[in-house]
Amino acid sequence: MDSIVQALPTLLTFLPLLGVIALLLSERTNGTLHRRLGIGFTLPPLALAVWMFVKQVLANTSLTWTHAFDWFYIPLPQGSWTFQYMMQIDGLSLVFIMLTCLITTMATIASHSIHERTRAYYSLILLLQVGMLGVFSAFNLFLFFIFFEITLISMYFLIGIWGFLHKEKAANYFLLYNGLGSGFLLFAMIGLLMLAESLNYDDIANAITALVQQLELLPPEVGLMVWGVFGSLMIAFAIKLPIFPFHTWMLKVHVEAPTPIVMIHSGVLLKMGAYGMIRFGYGFFPTFMQEIAFTLAIVGVISILYGALLAIVESELKKVLAYSSISHMGIVLIGLGAINETGLKGAVFQSISHGLISALLFYLVGRLYQRTQTTQFNELGGLAKSMPVFSGILMVGVLALLGLPGTSGFISEFFAFLALFASKPIVAAIGTLGLIFAAFYALRIVLKVSFGPIADKHMHLSDLRFNESIPMLILVVVIIMIGISPAVLSYPIDSVLHTLITQIGGQ
Amino acid sequence: MNNLLVGFIPILPLLVFLILLFGRRRFTLKTSGWISIIGTGMSFMLTLPLLWYGNVFHIQVPWFEIEGTVIQFGFTLYTLNTIMLVIVSFISLLVQIYSLGYMKEDQRVATFYAYLSLFTFSMLGLVMSSNLLQLYIFWELVGVCSFLLIGFWYFKPTAREAARKAFIVTRIGDVGLFIAICLIFWQVGSFEITDLYTAVSNGAISPGMITWIAILTFLGAVGKSGQFPLHTWLPDAMEGPTPVSALIHAATMVAAGVYLVASLFFLFEASEIAMNVVANTGAFTAIFAATIALTQFDIKRILAYSTVSQLGYMMFALGSSGLVAGVFHLMTHAFFKALLFLLAGAIIYTLHHEQDIRKMNGLWHTHKGLGVLFLIGCLSIAGIPPFSGFFSKEEILLAAYADGRMSIFWIGVIASFLTTLYMFRLFFQVFMGDKQTKKSTLPVPTVMYIPMVLLALISSLIGFTFDGKKWGDWLTDNWVLQLNHQVTMPLWIPIVVTSLSLVAIGLAYVWYGRKKGLSEQRQGWFARMQHIVYRKYYVDEFYQFVILMPLKGLSWFLNGFDRFIVGGLVYLTSLKMLTLGSLGSRLQNGQAQRYLLISVMGCVCILMWLVAGGLFKWIP
Repeated sequence: MDSIVQALPTLLTFLPLLGVIALLLSERTNGTLHRRLGIGFTLPPLALAVWMFVKQVLANTSLTWTHAFDWFYIPLPQGSWTFQYMMQIDGLSLVFIMLTCLITTMATIASHSIHERTRAYYSLILLLQVGMLGVFSAFNLFLFFIFFEITLISMYFLIGIWGFLHKEKAANYFLLYNGLGSGFLLFAMIGLLMLAESLNYDDIANAITALVQQLELLPPEVGLMVWGVFGSLMIAFAIKLPIFPFHTWMLKVHVEAPTPIVMIHSGVLLKMGAYGMIRFGYGFFPTFMQEIAFTLAIVGVISILYGALLAIVESELKKVLAYSSISHMGIVLIGLGAINETGLKGAVFQSISHGLISALLFYLVGRLYQRTQTTQFNELGGLAKSMPVFSGILMVGVLALLGLPGTSGFISEFFAFLALFASKPIVAAIGTLGLIFAAFYALRIVLKVSFGPIADKHMHLSDLRFNESIPMLILVVVIIMIGISPAVLSYPIDSVLHTLITQIGGQ
Repeated sequence: MNNLLVGFIPILPLLVFLILLFGRRRFTLKTSGWISIIGTGMSFMLTLPLLWYGNVFHIQVPWFEIEGTVIQFGFTLYTLNTIMLVIVSFISLLVQIYSLGYMKEDQRVATFYAYLSLFTFSMLGLVMSSNLLQLYIFWELVGVCSFLLIGFWYFKPTAREAARKAFIVTRIGDVGLFIAICLIFWQVGSFEITDLYTAVSNGAISPGMITWIAILTFLGAVGKSGQFPLHTWLPDAMEGPTPVSALIHAATMVAAGVYLVASLFFLFEASEIAMNVVANTGAFTAIFAATIALTQFDIKRILAYSTVSQLGYMMFALGSSGLVAGVFHLMTHAFFKALLFLLAGAIIYTLHHEQDIRKMNGLWHTHKGLGVLFLIGCLSIAGIPPFSGFFSKEEILLAAYADGRMSIFWIGVIASFLTTLYMFRLFFQVFMGDKQTKKSTLPVPTVMYIPMVLLALISSLIGFTFDGKKWGDWLTDNWVLQLNHQVTMPLWIPIVVTSLSLVAIGLAYVWYGRKKGLSEQRQGWFARMQHIVYRKYYVDEFYQFVILMPLKGLSWFLNGFDRFIVGGLVYLTSLKMLTLGSLGSRLQNGQAQRYLLISVMGCVCILMWLVAGGLFKWIP
């Protein structure tokens, strides 16, 4: 029993692989079976994650589960580089893992409309889940990098094969940009290996701290190198988040990828950027984060306003949501730029919250497209008449998107802005304009889709079926639960964030 | 009183909301109405005893933490918000009863009652909140309910636009409140109103910061209470069903801004600038909206501008340190304006959804009951003794007089004159004249009469409860408020104001009662002036050109920028990559020898690098 608990992070991460095996063994043409297997095998990790989460909340502190052993080593003229296999789930990882499991399950359920090559499709989704879970539970940069690449590859095929009209182009853009990001990440990894002689997070953090303390005594090249490593880490995750002007690929993916995949992409993959900035930026280079705090806040505000303004005039639903993602990721950045515990909390909350909200909205988009074959605003309208349940859930999703109090969207924004008001009130005040613009574009969605006169051809659309609305209602419940009782989400992360922020000292 | 029972006051309507939301298909139209009425009725019953107990009530539970500070979720009761509780639950109850008649032909009555219950819950939660963050949450929720109810007839494009406008314009104000709350937290370390009071009275916050916080808070109130320059949404909000206009856009939600300023009165009093801003905004809005009301033809819009104007009255009462006056007017206004709106709804109902007063006349012949009730409403708002408006309005003018800002005092007097004029213009136009011949009129159902009669009774009688001193003590003895001046009223003020009102009634009769004044065409500069006022001073157009269009322009510009500049750069980069790729593909021409060569080169590189690793010894 003990050994199972010890291996929990590994177990959790690789559980979906069982599903891949089962799928590969199944009959090639049986789509229903593939779908059942696909959904079924996302459930054990979800259950495990929920169990860990409940344990965490009941314990009221941050628990960690670690699985580590020596893996392999490269002999060097002096000593050797030992690569340790280390997976660790702490509170911060856990909330992202919860998000991953929940959204993957929802996405597999939402894959109603995938009828071609279902075996490959569900296998790839499960593989993608392995990658995502690995990214969040790895505690060694080398492992992190491997899992990171797994997500890229599976995502590439998922976009390229099952996407909409320009799927190949979108997949190529995706690979191009993320490959670029991986390049920076690889560079940073090698740099860190040379600086710290280990790739375990703890070792790196300690080594960098020691290094930074005596930076003046060392040759200037070292300082340059540390900054270079830090910079390339930041760029790698800025592309992932994405930050203006690295966002073009994300728009293409949002528009061209199949909607269940966008749920995962927008819901989880973008959040790896936020996770990376917190885990590596704050974890390894706390003092550097403080130095670039102002830049982060400014870039955050630019992203908020830029994304929101573009979302206001865009006339296609998926693009509006894509631009709103840029705006919302800006809020993550201002949280990071605030350099206090509340800001970090805001960034994590915003990541989770936006993950849930965009998954919900893209699920709705998928259902809508299946019925109307369009997501252009000028061809929609008045759907509240024929699809009242759909419109009701869309309303909730949109209100969460604009940050209505009582939903997770508000509390995340609130933490981020509150934090920024402590240190940079003027920047924060400019950023709050984004709240008004958010109301503009978010309401526009629901007013264009559900309100107004209905087109004749949409008079007899079928409303959401019960089994379609259940996953949405689950997401709605989680969104509202976090909104009403933010403590649920902050129990696991508080102590982790507190440790991170105390490294900076002062606050 | 039992804590648990107080907790039920907001929870009951929330339960009703959930029941109706999930069971809306199962309930008949009548059942859903009655479920809602019973829920709100029980809440109302629970609020009544609170008026007599009158002791401070406070309950809180830990909610979450910010930087180690535990934020509490709590309800607090003191006189001011107890009064609000009673008003909100009572008027909500009456409006729901009234809607049984007014909405009976609508297919989505269950949804309607669900929204009304959600609104009632949010509004009750708003006034009971003990801290500002929680207040803000309910503040936004009432805004959403208002949005949903304005857009209740979602298929009407006008309703859609009005709903959007209401949400966005109030959100502009809300952002002010949002910023104020953030600033308060870092200044005080808490969101509790009592902690803020302690900090303000200890001088822990610098005067400049107090002014900022107060003005930003006031911005929130300006949005919610339809004060100039954020008033434009309120008249448009009349696109919603009339019971909604009565409840949300006349009696309760729009008064939330006034309530906010009143409950943070200590904050505003600590800053002279803030008080000036409040008083001047209020006074300007009072007279500005009154002039517009004089020129409109839509019965609900006239009442809407009247609401804006009366809210301005309350604001300048508060800005002139007339806390009691402002709060008392909030209360009397809630009753008589709800009455007037319900009457307007009844008139619209009998005339088959006709809202243009130029097409109404002679209703007195067929609907004497409505006429009498309408007259009571008009006399109340006009401030003719002994109706309730008299007492509250005199108190406001007295406060302005005592405060010493004579310009504001006289604006108040003129606005009062205009109020009477437009109300009686409306009254004479609708009820006097020849009998309606073209169309038959519908009789008004009894369920609609009951609430109106109750409101009329209260509007006539509630003024007698007023005693400035007692009310002042009552409001302050259990809350963080202090009132400094009690001035006796110079006798000439009520005499002058009342006689002005009587003159206005006379003028209205001469202009609109005897002949068909509204259909008459006027010429010259007066007509041009009138047209400008009729078009609401072109404020909407101004916003359209100065704010919305540049914003849209900027968005379109950025759209092009994103598509061509950013996208173009990306395209160039990808071209580069393609060139690189083709270079790379030349290396892979399928010849095993070349692959071997490359592998060997790679090995050499790795070896060299590993050896060079020794050079990095100086790295710890």
